[in-house]
Amino acid sequence: MKSELLHGTLEIMILKTLSWGPMHGYGIRGWIEQLSGGALQIEEGSLYPALYRLERKGWIESEWGYSEKNRRAKYYSLSEEGRRELRAGTRLWSGFAQAVGQVLSAKGQPV
Amino acid sequence: MPRWRRYLRFWGPDAAADVDEEFRFHVEERIEELIARGLDARSAREEVMRGFGDIEQVKWACQVLALEKETAMRRSEWLDALTQDVVLSFRQMRSNLSLTAAAMLTVALGIGGTTAIFSVVNAVLLRPLPYQDAERVVYIWETFREFDGRASVGHFHDWTEQTGVFEATAAWQARTYNLTNDGDPMRIVGARVTPRWFEVSFMTPEIGRYFQPDELNARVVVLSHGLWQERYGGDRSIVGRDIILNGEAHTVIGVTPAAYTLSEFEERLWTPFPLVFAPAERHNYGSHGLLVLGKLKPGITLERAQAELHRVTEGIRARQPDAMTARGVRAETMRAALIGNWQTQLYVLLGAVSFVLLIACGNVASLLLARATTRRKEIAIRGALGGGRGRLIRQLLTESLVLAVAGGAAGMLVASLGIRFLVGMGPSGVPRLQEAALDANVLGFALAATLLSGLIFGLAPALRATRTDLQSVLREGGKTSRGSARDRLRGVLVVTEIAVALVLLVSAGLFIRSALIVNRIPLGFTADDVTMLRIALPQDRYSEIAVVNQTFARMLERLRAVPGVERVAFSTRVPLWGPSIDIGLTVQGKTFEDGQSPIAHVRLNSAEFLQTLQIPLKRGRLLTESDLGAGAPSVVVINETLARSAFGDANPIGQRVYGWTSRENPEWREIVGVVGDVRAFGREADTPPEIFIPHTKAPGEAWTAFQRSVTFVVKGRGAVTPLALRQAIAAVDPQLPLYDVQTMNEVLAQSTAVRRFNTMLLALLGMTGLVLSAIGVYGVIAFFVTQRRHEIGVRLALGATTRNVVGLVLGQGALLTGLGVLLGGGAAFAATRVLDSLLFQVQPLDPVTYAACAALLAIVALCATLIPARRAARVHPVESLNAS
Repeated sequence: MKSELLHGTLEIMILKTLSWGPMHGYGIRGWIEQLSGGALQIEEGSLYPALYRLERKGWIESEWGYSEKNRRAKYYSLSEEGRRELRAGTRLWSGFAQAVGQVLSAKGQPV
Repeated sequence: MPRWRRYLRFWGPDAAADVDEEFRFHVEERIEELIARGLDARSAREEVMRGFGDIEQVKWACQVLALEKETAMRRSEWLDALTQDVVLSFRQMRSNLSLTAAAMLTVALGIGGTTAIFSVVNAVLLRPLPYQDAERVVYIWETFREFDGRASVGHFHDWTEQTGVFEATAAWQARTYNLTNDGDPMRIVGARVTPRWFEVSFMTPEIGRYFQPDELNARVVVLSHGLWQERYGGDRSIVGRDIILNGEAHTVIGVTPAAYTLSEFEERLWTPFPLVFAPAERHNYGSHGLLVLGKLKPGITLERAQAELHRVTEGIRARQPDAMTARGVRAETMRAALIGNWQTQLYVLLGAVSFVLLIACGNVASLLLARATTRRKEIAIRGALGGGRGRLIRQLLTESLVLAVAGGAAGMLVASLGIRFLVGMGPSGVPRLQEAALDANVLGFALAATLLSGLIFGLAPALRATRTDLQSVLREGGKTSRGSARDRLRGVLVVTEIAVALVLLVSAGLFIRSALIVNRIPLGFTADDVTMLRIALPQDRYSEIAVVNQTFARMLERLRAVPGVERVAFSTRVPLWGPSIDIGLTVQGKTFEDGQSPIAHVRLNSAEFLQTLQIPLKRGRLLTESDLGAGAPSVVVINETLARSAFGDANPIGQRVYGWTSRENPEWREIVGVVGDVRAFGREADTPPEIFIPHTKAPGEAWTAFQRSVTFVVKGRGAVTPLALRQAIAAVDPQLPLYDVQTMNEVLAQSTAVRRFNTMLLALLGMTGLVLSAIGVYGVIAFFVTQRRHEIGVRLALGATTRNVVGLVLGQGALLTGLGVLLGGGAAFAATRVLDSLLFQVQPLDPVTYAACAALLAIVALCATLIPARRAARVHPVESLNAS
């Protein structure tokens, strides 16, 4: 469950992490790893294209800033449109996860 | 550096460098993190790089996405900026309403007028003729001396059979018909045509069909769309029904579509040609009455056809030298034959109205320049706040274009009024004038003219305004300064306006002078209080020539009895009216060289015809009642032109002539009088040689040629009404349609309608140009005075008189006007040459017209200067010193 993450899943997780405030790519990767209890290690080869894709769609915006260690870093933040997408995507994803869960936890064969 | 990198750099911030930096930060942070967790530097780096996979590939993907985003943003930014420019423009327009209104009105008039005239040019000249393969249709004229004329039956057949360059040929001859069933008797101008006529000028029939090749002698008829609508209400069942034409039943076989008829003067029905194509006529090369059209085979050029026609015609000359004296052949395209006449006039009008538009653009540019000066501070500050020069130019140009489009939109209203005026007032007979409308072509033209105008009057002010030096403006506290360069630009504008206006005025002046000369030409007869009415006797009921003569004589009696009628007479042709047939004359005891024998236009008339029109007697006597009697000797009266061409300076009285009768059995007629020349074909046409024959003494074939029709001239005041005249005719034959009851003065007015219309329009355009350029002069000089208030105040304070000040201002105006007049005179010199063919006895370089127009323009321009000059004189020295 490392690299096979669906595009959509990664994108919505990025939007979620950005909903707390602007963050650079490195930080986003760290947050997702922490939040998943270390289960999800996002590869940079997927993360950055996803970030640029989201920016291209206008869901996130970027700005150069300085990190805590005073290094130049590119910070991403959620746009209004991204916030709407996050809400819609969350509903969709929860419904999907619940449905898959129901199927997998079924006790007997359907009649 | 790879190609795409250069591409990226060209488009904006360097995406590649950005991605590199972003990734570098990530890699460094991650390595630090992993080292902190206990990995050595090398395996930490390897671990991080594994996460990136093919890092170059990832970078590339990110750069492309970044570039896409950038492009999309630029596009929407550009649209935002455009919207912003337009909104700003509207705000600008609203903030200065009077200026906007003045500019818009000027543009609207310019664009509207140009569009209206263009719509006529489009309808008449630019659209292709409606007939199938119209570009291959040619008119074939049998020429006589330098004139294009009608052809003989023999010519028509030889051209058809011996040239081999035509797909089809057809002959046409106008004829009038009395239509007597289904309602009131009606007089209709139609044509007899050979069966292939509609193959040559083909359009799919509205209903029914056209003639078959074997229908030369059939009693069938094709109706025009107009006649079908007017008389039969567009009833489709008309096909197959019989209508009575000249007393004979004809079966309607088809109706032409509406577009087939190009002008209201054209024939309204067609019947096949029976008589002229009788076998006996096959080799008739002597009488010339056919209009011949041919449709060229594909790929045959006009020159090739002309050469073939020439070859065949020379063959005829070899066989028939007598008939071919001074005759030849000429082919021209249908287009040239139908609309060639109108081309120059319409293009002259279009040129003139474009000149007005140019002057209008000049004025608007001048207005915008003046405003740009008052906006210098705004523009300078916008420049200082980072609006680039390009951005500012775009803003100002957008303002001009918005102004132009608003003016152009208003101009469409002007154009539709203008088109209605042109169609309504335009001279009759202009082909397809009625179809002038604001169609797609015309609207496209209007749009192009609008945008072009916007650019013309917007570009100079925009470039000029954005060249402002910020520091100097702010130093002056935003007050306008001398801005001498801007003054020079406006000066150039106004000089150009005056020059263009002078070209317009001179053209109009030349037309007006022509019209004056034409109107001064003596007619040779008195048209006042004369009413005319045309009568044609149908051949079926009036086959006997004696009955024809008696009937006309009885009508004469009836008309004479109408109250108020002083005199009444008739003739087969009255001046400007009726068919004209010319014959070759033989003079007893006199021989002429080839091509020099006299030709005369024949008029059959009642005894008092010449007296009724007060045509003056020059020699001998006029015709009298006694000349009409059966036993009276055959006498004729001729006009001075014929006397000159047949007898030179010799006295023609007592000479004997004959025409129309065979050489073997000549019927000699004695000349008893010579009358003055009459402008029989209109004021601008040469007087034809005329011979007046008493109607009872005319041969039967003459009455056939004239289709038993005459025009009555009734002289009398007041009480003579068309109704009374109709009743008098109906008393003789109630079935006769009476048509074209008109006063002679009305007919005279129609004969000069085209000239009057052109003259009026050009005069109107000339006046508009004059007024607009005067406004331009006023604007520039008024601005000059406003800008120099301070200087003028100083001068006055230092002891200058008001005279000096007025002189200074007037001098400025005179300088501009003088330059404009000089320039315009030169331009007019070159431009008015194209008018040559439209002028009458006036040279395009007529010095009187040039001088008068230049003087008029100079006076009006100086008057426009006078107003600001007086204002300058009233400047109070102290006030203007305080103003700074």
